[in-house]
Amino acid sequence: MAYTTFSTLSNDAMKEPMFFGNPVNVARYDQQKFEVFEKLIEKQLSFFWRPEEIDVSRDRIDFLNLPDHEQHIFISNLKYQTLLDSIQGRSPNMALLPIVSLPELETWIETWSFSETIHSRSYTHILRNLFTDPNEVFEDIVNNDEIQKRATDISFYYDGLIHAVQFMQLHGLEQNEVPYVNIEGETEKLTLRDIKKKLYLCVCSINALEAIRFYVSFACSFAFAERDLLEGNAKIIKLIARDEALHLNSTQQMLNLWADGKDDPEMAEIAIECFAEGRDIFLKAAEQEKEWAQYLFKDGSMIGLNEEILCQYVEYIANQRMQAIGYEAPFVVKTNPIPWINHWLVSDNVQVAPQEAEISSYLVGQINSTVDSEDLSSFEL
Amino acid sequence: MANNMSSKLTYNGKQYTLDEEATLLENLEKQAVSVEFHCRDGHCGACRSQLVSGDVSYTTFPMAYLKDGEVLLCCSKSKKDITIKSLS
Repeated sequence: MAYTTFSTLSNDAMKEPMFFGNPVNVARYDQQKFEVFEKLIEKQLSFFWRPEEIDVSRDRIDFLNLPDHEQHIFISNLKYQTLLDSIQGRSPNMALLPIVSLPELETWIETWSFSETIHSRSYTHILRNLFTDPNEVFEDIVNNDEIQKRATDISFYYDGLIHAVQFMQLHGLEQNEVPYVNIEGETEKLTLRDIKKKLYLCVCSINALEAIRFYVSFACSFAFAERDLLEGNAKIIKLIARDEALHLNSTQQMLNLWADGKDDPEMAEIAIECFAEGRDIFLKAAEQEKEWAQYLFKDGSMIGLNEEILCQYVEYIANQRMQAIGYEAPFVVKTNPIPWINHWLVSDNVQVAPQEAEISSYLVGQINSTVDSEDLSSFEL
Repeated sequence: MANNMSSKLTYNGKQYTLDEEATLLENLEKQAVSVEFHCRDGHCGACRSQLVSGDVSYTTFPMAYLKDGEVLLCCSKSKKDITIKSLS
């Protein structure tokens, strides 16, 4: 079952499951098994933006005027966002593209991952403006224990899936001559169903990342902007949040399509089998985000946001997101503890006329307005 | 009888007036009902609700995953009496 970049086998993509069917051959979008992925691509493309379009130069003054503990909150949050998008800029491609079977889904995954690379580029844009040499900040992302704890948990499911799929595509699944030694170094009997299970849990983990982890970090960024501080940064995070809502939508779609038996019937069985494990992934992510809140506010709170409120928001958002994929709400919190975040998450507010914002690519008078009489020489009445 | 102003929007058992030109979310907000929302563009799913009776027409493609009988309030309108309720 080796991967092929163009399978010559004639297949009908309308009959394929999302994953582990025939590899996609013709990239055609005139017909879609799941129209929503095509709609997501269109929407994501219409959202296209570049970090350089946003002027962050005023943020430097705001940042330098922050007390130490607020600088810690701001920079740690930015480091965490950098980590999340470093992972997301490559992992959906690495993990999901080798096994995808629908053209619209394949292109969605590429579009999704590409937009995450824009996010990564924007963190550099922000940091370059705040520090003459942002090197120390970037280096700490791999050295900071608090960030490391999260990184390991997020990449765990991706890595396990990638490892198993690579083995399958190289050796097949017989395992008569080459046994499968999993990523933890243990011999494991690997069947296609086992790999599908790894896929299911991986998508659960991506979903938790997009659904909870990102939003906790957004809350911190917007809390500064609510006080009219670091607004350039918030403008960028607002665009990132708008993109993330689409990414979140796509993993919710996958999980729901599987659970409702609208895709691979085996995935529907796995969804039931892994129901509790999927729940634990979510609860663990929520727990880790609360620990993160503790780390953020270890030296003091900021106006409008403290550890307690952020933890309540973690629980609130976890309730919402878990209900969206068929789980009961696990936490008691019923109302949004930071209702002001909603106006930062509204999608249609984001669009601004280019002439109203500082968009570098918007040029006035791009047409050459000087006309020489020579230009009209071939003009006859 | 042709008075369309009399169309009703019932939400969680309470009756409100229904403006056919506004989305269901806007209808509720105008009448001081606080409803969950984020994107207001049909893709985040925050305003997902249960359609008890009636019909909706969408102003944009509802992208969020909807189970049978669920609607998105931010991008749907109704021309007739409609009953909806929140999910939790």
